[in-house]
Amino acid sequence: MTAKQKFGDSTGLSDEDLVLSTLEPDQLAESKKQRIPRRSLRRGELLVLWFLRVYLLFMVAVVVYQAWTGTH
Amino acid sequence: MNLLNGLKTLRHVVITHEDIDRAHDRARVQAARLRRSFLSRFRLLWLLVGPGILVMLGENDGPSMLSYAATGARFGIGFFLPFIVLTFVMAIVVQEMTMRLGAATHRGHAELIFERFGPFWGWFSMIDLGIGNFLTLITEFIAIRAGLGFFGVPPWAAVLLALALLYTALMTHRYWTWERITLAIAALNLVFIPVALLTHPDWHSISNALTTWKPVPRMDQNTLLIVLADIGATVTPWMLFFQQSATVDKGMTKRDVGFGRVDTVLGAALAAATALAMVVATAPLFASHMSAEHFQAAEFAQALRPLIGRLGASLFAVGIVEAGMVACVTISISSAYAFGEVAARPHSLNLPVRQGKAFYSVVFLLAVLAAVIVLIPGLPLVYVVLIVNVIAVLAMPPALVFLFMLANDRELMGDIASPAWANVLASAVVVFLVGAGVLFGISVIAPRVFAAWAGG
Repeated sequence: MTAKQKFGDSTGLSDEDLVLSTLEPDQLAESKKQRIPRRSLRRGELLVLWFLRVYLLFMVAVVVYQAWTGTH
Repeated sequence: MNLLNGLKTLRHVVITHEDIDRAHDRARVQAARLRRSFLSRFRLLWLLVGPGILVMLGENDGPSMLSYAATGARFGIGFFLPFIVLTFVMAIVVQEMTMRLGAATHRGHAELIFERFGPFWGWFSMIDLGIGNFLTLITEFIAIRAGLGFFGVPPWAAVLLALALLYTALMTHRYWTWERITLAIAALNLVFIPVALLTHPDWHSISNALTTWKPVPRMDQNTLLIVLADIGATVTPWMLFFQQSATVDKGMTKRDVGFGRVDTVLGAALAAATALAMVVATAPLFASHMSAEHFQAAEFAQALRPLIGRLGASLFAVGIVEAGMVACVTISISSAYAFGEVAARPHSLNLPVRQGKAFYSVVFLLAVLAAVIVLIPGLPLVYVVLIVNVIAVLAMPPALVFLFMLANDRELMGDIASPAWANVLASAVVVFLVGAGVLFGISVIAPRVFAAWAGG
């Protein structure tokens, strides 16, 4: 059974009509191949992101140390 | 102008199997929306709930339930009851943003970070997600093994059963069917409520704790570890990726945002009720001064058995298995969604196996690998799960900053960009999480400074 037979029958619409009448254009799987334009990060945003990156690496080291001391 | 409007100029429309499945789900939503009766509104709600409930009950996973159990056993009824409610309020603030983002852009979280901010920051996010998800997945299998162990199921059989269930859920090849099956299993999370009732809780103490936040425990490193574990039991990076991708896979649009909010709040309310029930259920272990230091999930059930009987203990074990199982499915799928989005491979639960080989392979291979690791004997479960939750808390602030920037991006979000009040709440969540992490760091590196600060 084809997809058209399986689904088209239940609504009375062809697959194409059903898809075009119910989904927004950018919901189609094919449309997701179009890329979203890049946005450049502002200085303040970069500062926050780098601060949090360093914070995360440092804190993971703390957790590893805590785990090591906890199990020894 | 909304950047995504440009996509409407597609000259040649290619329709996939995934689109047809999603179109059928949307046709039912449109039909329900046309009617104005109360029943139709209820049907619309039924059709549109799912990602929010699943993400919240999914996060009531093995490590989370064990964190709540350790909380009840170590501290009894007091400060942690309202604290847990607060963590779920934070979860609502954060998850509402991901739902809105998914409905507005029809793109997954990983995809948006990669395309909007570039691969440099995208890979950082993916590494955080990948490591966190895999560690958590291991603990889910530990929970399944421990829960089924209560019924005498050997570890290898427990792990195989879990993999078989995961495989069955995936082989529906239909988002809607998968979502409903997983929701039905997730409903078992509520078994902790009757378990709590079987312990004959002191309702006066519970209402007193919820209104006064007392008694407050002595603040030391162990208490702080539980605080962080309870936060990590409610807000974690995989939830952001999962709910946004599931919102997209379900086909939700800007018109559905109101129902998406109901879905998220409903999920949080159910999950919070279960989390509180777990603390209440294990509180008698605190009252009877039993040590919970080395309790594994099933051992909590054994310890409670004299109090709640064989039936209550069995329900407890079933709840632990469910917690591990649902999270095993949702976390594996959040990894696969993110992989598909970054690798530009098809990524949907509406995909037939032939078209979604990469997507389904990632889900299943990650699960198999985690399952094999769990069979290694001698893993210190309680310690592992607490640490996994702590790592989740630490990885959350960077993930939240990306979410914050995306949800405020008017070019992407149009008229449903975050309002000022949502930004204030989201900023408060980031500051709170960073503050809790810094306190934990001080307690490990400079315990005397921490003790002086805590009044010890």
